[in-house]
Amino acid sequence: MADHTVTVSRLEEVVSTSDEFDQVVSQALPVLLDRATGYTKRFLRETGQWNDDIEHEKFALRWGSEYLERFLVCGRSEVPCRPLFLFDSLVAKQHSKPEPFCYHPDLLRPLGRFLDGLVARAVVSRDALIALYRHSYGWGAGEVIAVTGLNGLESQRIYKNFRRWRESGWQRTMDEIGLTKTELGELASQQQRQRQRFNGEAERLIRVAQAHYRKSEPDHYPCLSRAQWREMFTQGYGCDYRIWHLALCLDCMQTAWGLGSNGSLTEEKPRLELLVRP
Amino acid sequence: MGYEEGLEAYRSQLLQSLSSPPSRSVSSVSDPIQVYVNERRVGELEGDGIDARLHVQSLDHIETIQLRTEDGTLLGGLVAPEFGYRTSRIQLSSDTVELCVHNTAQGGSVSAVFAPAPSLWSRTWKALADVADRLAIRRPDMALAHSMRTIAFTQALLALMVVGLGFDRLANWMNPEGGLSFIGQPAALRTVSMTEMDKLEQQLGDLARMQQKVGETLESQQKGMAQLHQTMAQLSSSHESVASSVVMVKEEMEKRQEGPQTDRSTQRPVSDFVQKEQLEAAIKSLTVDNARLSNELARLEEHNQTLSAKLQTASVNAAKAVDPNPERLLVTQGDVARKNQSVQVAESLQHSQMQPFLFWVTFSEGTSQESIDQWVHEKKGHKGSINEGWQEVRIVPPAVPPDLFLEQIRGEKIVKAARIPE
Repeated sequence: MADHTVTVSRLEEVVSTSDEFDQVVSQALPVLLDRATGYTKRFLRETGQWNDDIEHEKFALRWGSEYLERFLVCGRSEVPCRPLFLFDSLVAKQHSKPEPFCYHPDLLRPLGRFLDGLVARAVVSRDALIALYRHSYGWGAGEVIAVTGLNGLESQRIYKNFRRWRESGWQRTMDEIGLTKTELGELASQQQRQRQRFNGEAERLIRVAQAHYRKSEPDHYPCLSRAQWREMFTQGYGCDYRIWHLALCLDCMQTAWGLGSNGSLTEEKPRLELLVRP
Repeated sequence: MGYEEGLEAYRSQLLQSLSSPPSRSVSSVSDPIQVYVNERRVGELEGDGIDARLHVQSLDHIETIQLRTEDGTLLGGLVAPEFGYRTSRIQLSSDTVELCVHNTAQGGSVSAVFAPAPSLWSRTWKALADVADRLAIRRPDMALAHSMRTIAFTQALLALMVVGLGFDRLANWMNPEGGLSFIGQPAALRTVSMTEMDKLEQQLGDLARMQQKVGETLESQQKGMAQLHQTMAQLSSSHESVASSVVMVKEEMEKRQEGPQTDRSTQRPVSDFVQKEQLEAAIKSLTVDNARLSNELARLEEHNQTLSAKLQTASVNAAKAVDPNPERLLVTQGDVARKNQSVQVAESLQHSQMQPFLFWVTFSEGTSQESIDQWVHEKKGHKGSINEGWQEVRIVPPAVPPDLFLEQIRGEKIVKAARIPE
């Protein structure tokens, strides 16, 4: 308790340099994480979204950690400052935004957490974004390149994205969303037992997550008609547009299906076939 | 695993991942850096590009900028100010990214410039240049001489190599044994000769390239020397000007210190001129101040008159409101004055501007009109009408109560009787 008080009082003092900021904050990570988690819990309670269970506790912890990560990196540019007050203001600013995070009771269960974590990660990681094609439709790098109609240079990146995701990205994402091995095993067994029902539920939940996280795209990345997609594929522009939007929109994937492959993809329109492991 | 243990394990895992500082893995060093503005991806910087740039213009206010790797690791960021500029230099292992954000009422803009770590050659060159700069700063003449010696030595070495190569080729042509053997074994010797020729040509080509490079280096060094000379010249001129300024200041200080002892005859014209200037300035300043004060005075007088008029009007109105008969008002005021002697004078003065004191007086027989006028004048009064031998007199209200005033009047030689109107 005394240590906690000392740490908090140190955080309340002015730090003048970035190095001093790093030093003070790195010694107070548990305090700051608990603080951010507490604020998130309060926000959820006040907005009627809180339940006293481990899922909600984990959700609050996850977002507390997210805020703390941003604070660690961005706070350095705010010196001189009082770290504690800066941190409080950063969390308050996040919570003052409309829909600061994607909350849905079903997204707190293991399948929902898996999908929410995957899509949330895709917003900040290109590896995770490309891996969404793999987890959603079971495609490999070649199929992703064909579907999105990428050229040679971009293709190399897709292979690298796949490799990094397999090596470390997937595991890190699972750690961040707090999915244990037991829960992952349970998901895999559910999928084996009731594949159709499992995929149907996954499609319903991924639409919720995608609708929320697609807002992180630039404003000029809206859904398009097939004619517009065709023009983009034919003219060869909007590489990023194709990669980002099609990964985060099941409907547009079906709309633009077959445009990038010059007719080589003759299968019927893709349906969600969730893969838990990369 | 129970509820608490599961939660604690998750918390520990998050803390552990937060404790490790963000960095680009070795495999992703050449990958693009993703740029996020307000947590939206807006573009990327080429990780292996030289001075790769990204400029983003936004209609919205910019709040945060984040740099991430392709695997999502948050490398650095910047919180934008509400208005104005903010720059930040984010170190990514050996590379750096310069971020500059500008927020205005119309929106914001971000520019990011990726600067890769300098190569070994450029670092070495920079280190050498730094050493040379330091030497030049410490002992410019010596460094200059050293550079000139290096250039001369390089040129001599190059000339020697060219001459040696020329002799070598000439010896090959002039050597009779070589010529005989060339004749005796034509095919083999031709091959050898051709090989040697190729080698020589290659060497010549290399030499020419070297010479060209040396020439370029020499040229750049000469340019550098010229720049150095210019800088030195500027520096020396600056130094001279500073030194002369210092000398001037010193002289001035000495003159001031020696003021009384110095010959006044030499200083007089200068001091007279300075004094004249100071006097003129003081006169100007005084004139301006005077004009300002006159204006102020006029304004105050005007204001005072306005206030007096208002006060008079207000007093008359108040008097009328209390009692329409001004004479009764005077009596009342006299009663009040009796009670409060300390404010009598002030009140009398105040009311003197409002209403004159009126009384009737008869004079002793045989008093001349001249004496009467003089008496009225002494009382600072004005004569009014005459009624049945009574002279009406209006004066400034006296400082004493009316009864006492009348008694005083009656005591005077020329006054026979005095009364106030009923």
